[in-house]
Amino acid sequence: MNDIIKSIDLSEDSLFIGGVNLRSRLLVGTGKFSSHEIVPRVLEASCAQVITMALRRVDWKTPQENILNYLPQNTILLPNTSGARTADEAVRIARLAKAAGCGNWVKIEVVQDQRYLMPDNWETLLATEQLVKEGFVVLPYMSPDLGTAKRLQEAGAAAIMPLGSPIGSNRGLQTKELIRILIEEIPLPIIVDAGIGRPSEAAEAMEMGAAAVLVNTAIATACDPVLMAQAFRLAVMAGRLGYLAGPGDRRIEAAASSPLTGFLQEA
Amino acid sequence: MEIVVNGEAEELISDCTVLQLLENHAVTIKAAVVELNGKILKQEHWKNTLLQTDDRLEILIFMGGG
Repeated sequence: MNDIIKSIDLSEDSLFIGGVNLRSRLLVGTGKFSSHEIVPRVLEASCAQVITMALRRVDWKTPQENILNYLPQNTILLPNTSGARTADEAVRIARLAKAAGCGNWVKIEVVQDQRYLMPDNWETLLATEQLVKEGFVVLPYMSPDLGTAKRLQEAGAAAIMPLGSPIGSNRGLQTKELIRILIEEIPLPIIVDAGIGRPSEAAEAMEMGAAAVLVNTAIATACDPVLMAQAFRLAVMAGRLGYLAGPGDRRIEAAASSPLTGFLQEA
Repeated sequence: MEIVVNGEAEELISDCTVLQLLENHAVTIKAAVVELNGKILKQEHWKNTLLQTDDRLEILIFMGGG
């Protein structure tokens, strides 16, 4: 299988975001893993170049190790603003992450709804406007809505990250039609974030023309996260190749694959 | 002298810099970030910044997240 993978040349198909040409179209999150030790193996298996993480208060009583100690040197760090309920809080977290030496990429995540963790598109837009002005490469996580996506684009977002289904739900592309509209109408990379639970769903998103997918829970909660990371890597490549190959038209009625003449019973 | 660290009161028995406080609590310095009274305090200033009564300190590190 490795020979087949090596023979696939996607070197001309890099994804350009924030001044960087990304070879991998799979972004990986670092939450929910059973231990930090497994994270480097997962990242290696995924071949991801962009890795997300969260900024949190240090707990004096049960000190936790910094996840950065487990990330490869050459990865692009994409801190999220999880925990933010308003644009101001997201901006504050982004500035702190930058001050910690994480570069200038940020995934805006503004959530007030605690049941479904649905992003607040309005606050997300306000945070995006501010952080772009401050020189951040802004990737906003959002509910797929064309009007908001257009405004995020105008505000200078580097990519748009619509959710497939609620964070951590593993329910796949429940918002497929809305994501399709964003892919069609927004001239920015559309990165499907949240909800992708199976490699087949990542492939489906890529086949639709998504620029990339971000996966965390589906890998972290698999029985074998390293194997699942590999599966997602291949699924993203397969979906991308399918998109580039240009799928044939869909039809309601059958269209025979075999010739309809020259049957044995013909006179 | 009392300060507030990450929302909780902390009693300091003697003069203490931000850097000493972090070291006392065995916080990994690498990529920790500190906010003092709502403003980011750059790492180069930790060793010279003496904590004052009622200072509010936020000490953050990166954790797993999606």
